[in-house]
Amino acid sequence: MTALAQAQPVIPDFGRGSDCVRENRTFCWDWVRDHWDDTLQPRLLEHVELTAYAVGIGFAIAFVAALVAYRHRSFEGAFGFTSELLYTIPSLALFQLLVPVTGLTITTVEIALVSYTLLILFRNVVAGLRAVPDDVLEAARGMGFTRAQTLLRVELPLAAPSILAGVRIAAVSTISLATIAAFVLPEGLGQPILDGLRTFFKTKFIAAGALAVALAIATDALLVLVQRSLTPWTRASRAG
Amino acid sequence: MKPSWRRLLGLLVVMSALVLAVVGCGGDDEAAGEGTTSADTADVTSDKPTIVIGTKNFPEQFILGELYAQALEAKGYDVTLKSNIGSTEIIDKALTSGKIDLYPEYTGTALTVVFGAQGSAESAEATYEAAKEKYEARGQTLFAMTPFSDSDAIAVRKSTAEENGLTSVGDLKTLGTFKLGGQPEFRTRAQGLPGLRRNYGLTNVKFVPFAGISPYEALDQEKVDAAAIFSTDPPLGTGKYVVLEDPEAQFGFQNVAPVVDRELADRGGDELRETIDAVSEMLTDEAIIAMNKAVVLDQRPAKEVAREFLEANQLT
Repeated sequence: MTALAQAQPVIPDFGRGSDCVRENRTFCWDWVRDHWDDTLQPRLLEHVELTAYAVGIGFAIAFVAALVAYRHRSFEGAFGFTSELLYTIPSLALFQLLVPVTGLTITTVEIALVSYTLLILFRNVVAGLRAVPDDVLEAARGMGFTRAQTLLRVELPLAAPSILAGVRIAAVSTISLATIAAFVLPEGLGQPILDGLRTFFKTKFIAAGALAVALAIATDALLVLVQRSLTPWTRASRAG
Repeated sequence: MKPSWRRLLGLLVVMSALVLAVVGCGGDDEAAGEGTTSADTADVTSDKPTIVIGTKNFPEQFILGELYAQALEAKGYDVTLKSNIGSTEIIDKALTSGKIDLYPEYTGTALTVVFGAQGSAESAEATYEAAKEKYEARGQTLFAMTPFSDSDAIAVRKSTAEENGLTSVGDLKTLGTFKLGGQPEFRTRAQGLPGLRRNYGLTNVKFVPFAGISPYEALDQEKVDAAAIFSTDPPLGTGKYVVLEDPEAQFGFQNVAPVVDRELADRGGDELRETIDAVSEMLTDEAIIAMNKAVVLDQRPAKEVAREFLEANQLT
């Protein structure tokens, strides 16, 4: 196609992929086996990492904010409004907006992911605390509990199911959102998804997508177990 | 029942453990794409400069990066390859800020994207010379360009080409109304439909926009008769399609030339340039399509494909 081709390179036989891979059938197990170690498994670990950072940091911020909001109604309005505003920004747009400021770094990705966890976590912690019945609080006061004691021994344990429900939703939605991080940083399961879409190789994006779904389900199940072991009374009351 | 503060503490500990566990294993944060290699050969001689090669974020670039890196390593250079850096704008910044010393760039893209030039030069050589001049005014230079060009192009099924005697884009005029598929922006871009009308008088086109479907699948399923593609796309290696010639040069020239930091080029002298040029010289359309196909369709690692090509052509 160019007028310049004078060189005559030897083009070796590069071998061929399996028939399934060559024909780009819907799903090729052999590709998944061959590329688990170099493509899927490392991206899966990165994905867990991206999610854990986001939910961990998001929880720390939202938890402190919720404690303040529990005492000061005006703060609840302000923080709630801000986190709602963040939540409504389309994720792709938020990543793009942050790139000029924080670059194509993990910071950009985490700022966006943390932002999306805040609303869910904040609302659930506050709702859990507010749901503690007044007579229970009165009983605590009657027993001579200080404010801090009441919070630690009465309010937070009673709010725990609601708090953990928030963590579950935040974790699952972050796992899904983190795939979009690949537009900024070639990390996480979004990278093979994007790559598979770009090169039209179906197995790659289906495998990576399925892994993201599996990760979300496994995380949710794990958090249910955590919730049960931390708040056994919720099960006892349901059973009885 | 006693609501236990220990359970609450437990909850907090689990949350912090999540964070800490991650911080603990977060030592390998350095963004590294597929195929990052560094010289594992110990025979690095001190008079040869260390070279950091970067590539953009798609398979053809991964292959080019491996080709140049391995050819240099074979000559005893200490090479670090940073694959998958990003788009043109990003990798250019990596070059000008000294994070990389060299990367493969497309001459047409260099002119229009890096230097914001309008329109295109009239030949591959003119495009190359214009880009080289711009780079040299800025502290870099270009080594020799490849014979292959990865430009926009129009492809048809082989059977369509044979039945209707199509060899050039202009021949499409002899068809009745035909369906041409392409990315949505092809409809309005100067190098898209308007260009086809102006340069080749094609008024018998019914445009079909693609969104997320492979142009080759659309050709296979006869959803379109012709498709806007890239001239080095891997499926072209299957022999099922014919790329139509573009005598009016509507699609411009996108030969690859390594952009090299000027200081490195001067220090490396003839030996560095000749090592790299010897690789570029061998990269014809057929060669790069075969390698793209091996990596993208057959899913072979870019590193191995590059090594086999270099060995077959005595470049290692």
